Amino acid sequence: MSKQGGKGAAGKGKKPAKAGGDDKREDALQAVIIADYFQDRFRPFTLDKPRCLLPLVNIPVIEYTLEFLASNGVQEVFIYCGTHSEDIEQYIHESTRWSPNSAISPFSSLEFIRVSDATSVGDFLRDLDKRSLISGDFILVHGDLVANIQLDGILAKHRARREANRDACMTVVLRSVGEEPHRAAKARGITPVFVIDDTDGRCLQYDEIHPLMKDRRLLLDPSVFKHGSFELRSDLIDCGIDICTPDVLALWSESFDYELPRKNFLHGVLKDWELNGKLIYTEIFEDGYAARASNLQMYDCISKDILERWVLPFAPDSNLMHDQSYQKVKNNSFVESGVLVERGSKVLQSAIGKDTSIKAGSVISGSVVGRRCQVGKNVKIKDSYIFDDSIIEDGAVITHSILAGGVKIGANAQIPEGSLISYNVEIDRDVRLPTKPPARISAKTDNGQPVENDASLVGPGGKGAVYSVTADDSDSDSDDEGDGDPAQLQNNLIYSLEGLNISTLSVSTLASEDDYDSDEDDEHAGYLHAGDGQRERLSSFTSDDASKPDAFHGDAVNGLVDALRGDDNADFDSAKLEFMGLRLANNASDSSMRRAIAVAFTKRAAEMLTPEHGGLEPAKAAERVLKDKNGAVKFIKDVGVGGDDVKQQTEFALALQKGLVSVRGLEPSRAGTLLAALLQQLYTLDVLEEDGILAWWADRRAAEGDTMTTVKERCKVLVDWLEEADEEDSDEDEDDEDEDDEDEDDEDSD
Amino acid sequence: MPPSQANYAPSLDKLIKSLKSQPYEASIEALIFLLKRRQVKGDDCAVATAHILLQVVARSKWHDVDQLLGRVQSVGSRLARAAPHEPVIGNIVRRVLGLIRDEATEDRNNADDLGSDSASDIQSLAPTNPPPQRPAPTPVLMRSNTAAPGGLQVSKSMFNILSAATAADTPMTGASTPLSQAQPASVHALRTEVINGIEEIMDEIQQADDQIASFADIQIHPGEYVLAYQPTKTVERFLIKAATRRRFTVFIASIDPIEPGSGEKPYAALRKKLNSHGVTTINLASNGLMAYIPRVNKVIFGAKVIYQNGGLLVDSGACIAAQAAREFLKPVIVLGAIYKFCPEDPSDEAVISELGNPSSFVSYADGPEVEALDIENTVTDYIPPSLVEVYITNLGPQTRHHLASILADHYKVEDIGYSLHDGEV
Repeated sequence: MSKQGGKGAAGKGKKPAKAGGDDKREDALQAVIIADYFQDRFRPFTLDKPRCLLPLVNIPVIEYTLEFLASNGVQEVFIYCGTHSEDIEQYIHESTRWSPNSAISPFSSLEFIRVSDATSVGDFLRDLDKRSLISGDFILVHGDLVANIQLDGILAKHRARREANRDACMTVVLRSVGEEPHRAAKARGITPVFVIDDTDGRCLQYDEIHPLMKDRRLLLDPSVFKHGSFELRSDLIDCGIDICTPDVLALWSESFDYELPRKNFLHGVLKDWELNGKLIYTEIFEDGYAARASNLQMYDCISKDILERWVLPFAPDSNLMHDQSYQKVKNNSFVESGVLVERGSKVLQSAIGKDTSIKAGSVISGSVVGRRCQVGKNVKIKDSYIFDDSIIEDGAVITHSILAGGVKIGANAQIPEGSLISYNVEIDRDVRLPTKPPARISAKTDNGQPVENDASLVGPGGKGAVYSVTADDSDSDSDDEGDGDPAQLQNNLIYSLEGLNISTLSVSTLASEDDYDSDEDDEHAGYLHAGDGQRERLSSFTSDDASKPDAFHGDAVNGLVDALRGDDNADFDSAKLEFMGLRLANNASDSSMRRAIAVAFTKRAAEMLTPEHGGLEPAKAAERVLKDKNGAVKFIKDVGVGGDDVKQQTEFALALQKGLVSVRGLEPSRAGTLLAALLQQLYTLDVLEEDGILAWWADRRAAEGDTMTTVKERCKVLVDWLEEADEEDSDEDEDDEDEDDEDEDDEDSD
Repeated sequence: MPPSQANYAPSLDKLIKSLKSQPYEASIEALIFLLKRRQVKGDDCAVATAHILLQVVARSKWHDVDQLLGRVQSVGSRLARAAPHEPVIGNIVRRVLGLIRDEATEDRNNADDLGSDSASDIQSLAPTNPPPQRPAPTPVLMRSNTAAPGGLQVSKSMFNILSAATAADTPMTGASTPLSQAQPASVHALRTEVINGIEEIMDEIQQADDQIASFADIQIHPGEYVLAYQPTKTVERFLIKAATRRRFTVFIASIDPIEPGSGEKPYAALRKKLNSHGVTTINLASNGLMAYIPRVNKVIFGAKVIYQNGGLLVDSGACIAAQAAREFLKPVIVLGAIYKFCPEDPSDEAVISELGNPSSFVSYADGPEVEALDIENTVTDYIPPSLVEVYITNLGPQTRHHLASILADHYKVEDIGYSLHDGEV
């Protein structure tokens, strides 16, 4: 390792000449590899191995990433691991080439960083910020990157921009793939859309579109138009290579709720660039290759690209691993030493690992077969990926599937397109796996226990059962999608919209109902969502907030209610900050914020009425909920109402009313009383003005449906009083009146 | 891959600079991966190999000739395996092996003349057949070096393992012999000689192009039309040199860039230089060159490697030009330095030829084409010996029939038989 320092020094000796007046040390180039994705797209394979150790054309995926970094002269590498981190560490330490102790490692240092409580990529990067390991520009990549591009030019441009403007903090490296349908493009499902200033490559806006979107529209930020000319590009592969300055990490730290580098971070930072002033640039390259094996379809696509030499020098016969011995043979195939291909069998455009034997009459095309596999007679394997140590018996037919290691396929079994067969599964002879949907078979459950064998699926002598992907929303890439989760498009090997109803309307209802159902068992969440569903229905023809993501609403309400519940007399500011963060992250509209605030406060107030929380009188509850926390009132005034406008006040009153109506287990009459108390308190506290409340009273939206009307009626007293007060001289002593009013309310509730 | 603009990306220059500061084992590894990633290719491979072997000779621990030979062979085969498409590496390794054998023989002769060294010393320096029994007196000094744990273990060939074991087995006898002084001295001398020899090889590689160019005005006559197919650096220098003396016309054939109009015209620098000497240049697309063959007086290629049968590897597409020239009885001139002469027959793989990235012909952005086509981009072509008229080496023009003597002059029989590709795996 010490001598590697020397290598770095040699590189350094060269640099000052090039970089010229660059102020500080251009020492070692640093890179950060994110080797956990908090996704389950590769299940059930990832039950056994982390994604970055799955073989891609018989080399673990992370080898490609490390090799890419090495070929770009990276000196220091930090690897963030999540699940299976021991496996990855062990793998690296045992590797002669990458082990940090190895004399021949091209990196001067390679460190693993474990974060015990990380739940997203964002947590990793915030952790990285805290550790202050990063001294200058660094390359951020994912552990599933396959690329052969040279970053030198891009790094130089990035540096030049940073010299010119301190705020140019990040360069996103993209590959253009053209407008035509493309196997790489097709595989994506989610299409990133970049709005780019075409003069200097600055990225102005980022969004994602996918076929399950409710409205296939992209809202351009008005500020985009200030830039003169810009391009809107959806023909780009986002290979996840970011060249960052440490400022990027600071940005991550500032936004504690960002989880995903693109959907949250890039989108958010660009959206708020007027606040943070940071500029993000893109570099689009036309030559070379870069892609992420981020889902099974990309895995498929990249494997093919490697076999067809698009990714040179990553081709099997480059033998990048020390123990490999691939040679190119005829028919564009690659075989390692010790491979036995019997006469009469064919290997076309495939790679076959060491000591695999293929008996007579078999045809293997477009496939990758691992080491020590045994392929029987007359087997047909097409476009499939078979990991090490598998046994395929005579006459089996395998089409476009992935078979992990140690799999045994009985004679004459049929494995149709799209099947995913995990480690150590055994399929009995003559079994035909289902085609629709393709089978996903595992010998293990999520917690690593052996499954109960499903004889109807794998045959009487088989091993394994259907693995059902438990859609754990918090793990998924797109947990804050209001509509259909696009991640499901990427869960299968075969990209298909079949079975997914993409007619706009039905998808949206389906999705919201799903939400409703799946959350129902969770008492707390169900509570919220029930109210939410109702609200949605009520508001559907009133305002524009129907399309706003539910996740924001749920999180925001929870956050606020928790803050209101808090026993300590703490300031409300932190809750406010959190709320604003959520709002920025979700791009929530004013109306959805208003709705969330109203629901949160009414919820808490309603809660106080219940015996468990003290069984307060409505008036008392209304006062407590507003006054217990410093700053809560100001928060409502500033954020919830959002201005002195009568219209805004009306909306907020309406939101309060709806919130109360939707609180479960609260009788309408009691809800009405509480509403009156709340409105009266807000009036006293100068949050709502007389005009606002009266306008609400007059609004016909407030009287839609029985419950709404009932609730509204309970406020008549207040409104009458307000009207009277209006008629009377406004100079009248309000305090007295207030007292009276409160008394009246109390009577009401009795 | 686009050319690296060299800031961070590793390159041969950086490797050479860092040779001294890192263990040679790390340098070997670095070069292996540069080769695997094609970050070093073509003529650079020869230079790089020579540099690495120099490090091996100078810095690895060895205490007799056989050990040194074994080490060079093992490193050489690792390098050669890393880039099976670059036979030049093997040539350099063979040259160095031959050099070591020569120096060792010379040493022995000297020893005989002087009569000062004992028989066991001579035995230990015997160049070819390893003695059935290793000489008992192993110097203490050397033993402690070889037995020392550490970085050396990795590269040990069979040879090494044996000798290290013997050294360890016979510690007591060696300790008391008076010869322990004499041998390191001769090892030291041999080391210096071999290092000088390798430096000479490096010089030879460096000067080869200039030397070849010095024959230019003999080959190119005034008023001739010369077709240069994808001129290599060697050919460029050759043409420029000829241009200083002669007036002639050059057709430069090259593959069309994938997007016409992008960037500058191919070989712009070369054309500019030739034009400045008053030589007319005409650019041809390689697919149209056949039409010009009747007009051409001679065709010039730069060889990547020349096999012992006279066949050679060149950039892809050149074979068509050579065949066309044959049809019209135009002479084909091949430029190739001595170090490119490979004492092997072309293997099947060589004839099948290396495949490159298909993106030179089809853009990866073109989805339907990527999906539908199987694209084979052959990087090299094999030109059979019958198509070649004359080989111009740095030692002068040669015909096919004299290649054998050139090879015999530069390679030892023992090393020709040594197949670099069948080393330990």
